[in-house]
Amino acid sequence: MILVIGDTNDITTNIAMEWIRHYTKNVKRINFSDYTPLDSLKITNQNCTTKIASIDTSEVEKIWHRRGSIRFLPITLRNANSSLYTYLKKEEDSLLKSLEDILGDTKEYIGSYHKEVENYKIDYLLKAKDCGIRIPDTLITTSKKELQSFFNTYDQIITKDIRYGIKIKAQDSGIYSGGTFVVSEDMITSMKKHFAPTLVQEKIEKKYEIRVFFFKTTLYPMAILSQNDSKTSVDYRNYNREKPNRNVPVLFPKHIEQQILNFIKRSGLSTGSIDLIVDKADDYIFLEVNPQGQLDWVSKHCNYYIEKNIAEYLVFK
Amino acid sequence: MNVQQETPFKLIANCIPVKGAKRSSICDLHRGSIQLIPNDLYELIKNREGSSIIEIKKKYDHKYDTIIDEYFEFLIDHEFIFFTATPELFPKMSMNWYQPNTITNAIIDVGKQSDYNIYHALENLNELRCKHVEFRFFKKISLEEIKTIVEFLVDIKSSIISIDFTIPFDNDFEIETIQNFMSTNGRVSSFRYYGGHENKFISPIDNRRGYIIITDTIISNEKCCGIIDSSLFSVNISTFTESQKFNSCLNRKISIDANGHIKNCPSMMKSYGNITAINLNEVVEQKEFKKYWNISKDKINVCKDCEFRHVCTDCRAYIENPANIYSKPLKCGYDPYTNTWEDWSKNPLKSKAIEYYGLQE
Repeated sequence: MILVIGDTNDITTNIAMEWIRHYTKNVKRINFSDYTPLDSLKITNQNCTTKIASIDTSEVEKIWHRRGSIRFLPITLRNANSSLYTYLKKEEDSLLKSLEDILGDTKEYIGSYHKEVENYKIDYLLKAKDCGIRIPDTLITTSKKELQSFFNTYDQIITKDIRYGIKIKAQDSGIYSGGTFVVSEDMITSMKKHFAPTLVQEKIEKKYEIRVFFFKTTLYPMAILSQNDSKTSVDYRNYNREKPNRNVPVLFPKHIEQQILNFIKRSGLSTGSIDLIVDKADDYIFLEVNPQGQLDWVSKHCNYYIEKNIAEYLVFK
Repeated sequence: MNVQQETPFKLIANCIPVKGAKRSSICDLHRGSIQLIPNDLYELIKNREGSSIIEIKKKYDHKYDTIIDEYFEFLIDHEFIFFTATPELFPKMSMNWYQPNTITNAIIDVGKQSDYNIYHALENLNELRCKHVEFRFFKKISLEEIKTIVEFLVDIKSSIISIDFTIPFDNDFEIETIQNFMSTNGRVSSFRYYGGHENKFISPIDNRRGYIIITDTIISNEKCCGIIDSSLFSVNISTFTESQKFNSCLNRKISIDANGHIKNCPSMMKSYGNITAINLNEVVEQKEFKKYWNISKDKINVCKDCEFRHVCTDCRAYIENPANIYSKPLKCGYDPYTNTWEDWSKNPLKSKAIEYYGLQE
């Protein structure tokens, strides 16, 4: 049996499910927004068995963890503002991580909740560097002095989050951002001597960006031609809706492809999306990886049929 | 973007030139628009992609430098091309089209005379994992009745993700009621009211789906269908790739006409059985039922020479020569040999076919 962990409104889960069902009836789907009963995770001195939503997991051969996670907390307990929920979620989180390890031991588990929540940019930058892929020079600091000197070293620097996109709720407004921004001299001047850990990187003048979705060792690279658009020249996520960036299929030079495959292996990721930049000198620079990144747009713009290929892997391989 | 004379140019992979008899088009499948170009420019793109402007000018002994500059200005303006020193790293987009479900779309007609069970038909469509349904009512229908249909789909967890309703205009019509109905019933994507007092398009509220069209045209039967018009062009990767090998209207479609006859399209003569006697999946299994699916535009007379052939709809129900299934759609007024649009119904050459189908006003 194939088990898919996705979400009700996740287009990729929906399309892939159509394909999987086209090939087999032997598939079960779990949605992030639903409550999934944990019938039992039973550990005795003889063995360890799990039954989730009436599915005996010993019958599952492959799991594709597309998005989110299973959620064992009944919906009535999910009151975002209560500290009870915060606590219960923490408990659930540790259970999910253990469960992923247990299931991963006996069956093929593609995708990961664990990797998604612990998607630390710094770790992956180091891993990419170790594989010989260029990375932007990076500083994480709490000191204005260090920041100023880093700023002085490069033509321009940018800042982005270390792990979590900005999501700060205030009384009557909020600050939200998941993007990348150029740091100006004025910004630094206005900062205090010490501040919360902040990540900055040299800004790389790019020819174009590459978003590569990978599933196992198959790469689906797409070039994002954003270099002519001031809105997206720093970060393609700052969309221009009238004239959206051109997205086209692209290939890697052989040695770069090998480096990326090495990185995937080293990172222990079975699927995900990597963001890279190609600079003016045709160097490939690793930016970050998203274990549960969106792939619908890559599949559609490049006519890759990624969801069909995933389904065929799950059913036939 | 600036012109780069010495760097090779590459076409954006999802902007695709299509050659017609007298002129060509570039189908921008990314932004959903279409631009017309002379055939000379089509040839230039086809033969010289991957060369630099300097090289191209030289190739033509600098005789056409001004025209070449104009061409590139146009291509750059529309962002159809970019310049790259590594053109070999930018492959063409695959032209493959796949679809997991045998039936993707259906038309269900309901008239005064209809005595078949709509719910049975919907169950059948669910078994086929059909995605889109168009309901056409040639009789009065209340919102309550429509609600019952939509709720039934919810109950059976139907595979149908979008429903369009074509129904007669009623003086009780209230925009808000219909908009609210659509926003609480995600499956319903549009209402088209015919026989209204005006022609009007009402956009969905707050970026949601669900639009309303009111037209003053009277639609009393299935003969309204089959119009080919530039307003019906669908410029996207899915249509473009599907049309390479498959029919742009009938592929993976099934229909039930007002008398319960199962057909490729309600406007066609051939019935493969009545829904009261035979299930839809039994019809789909018949080889003959699928014979129109592979009639792509490249096989249809005139269409095969048209620069719009991969963004256009098709019609096999009303064709210029009813004896030839590869004949051009009757209700198309475009001539790719002269690049002119005219009113198809006034074309004397079509009068015989118009009479044959009983389409005269």
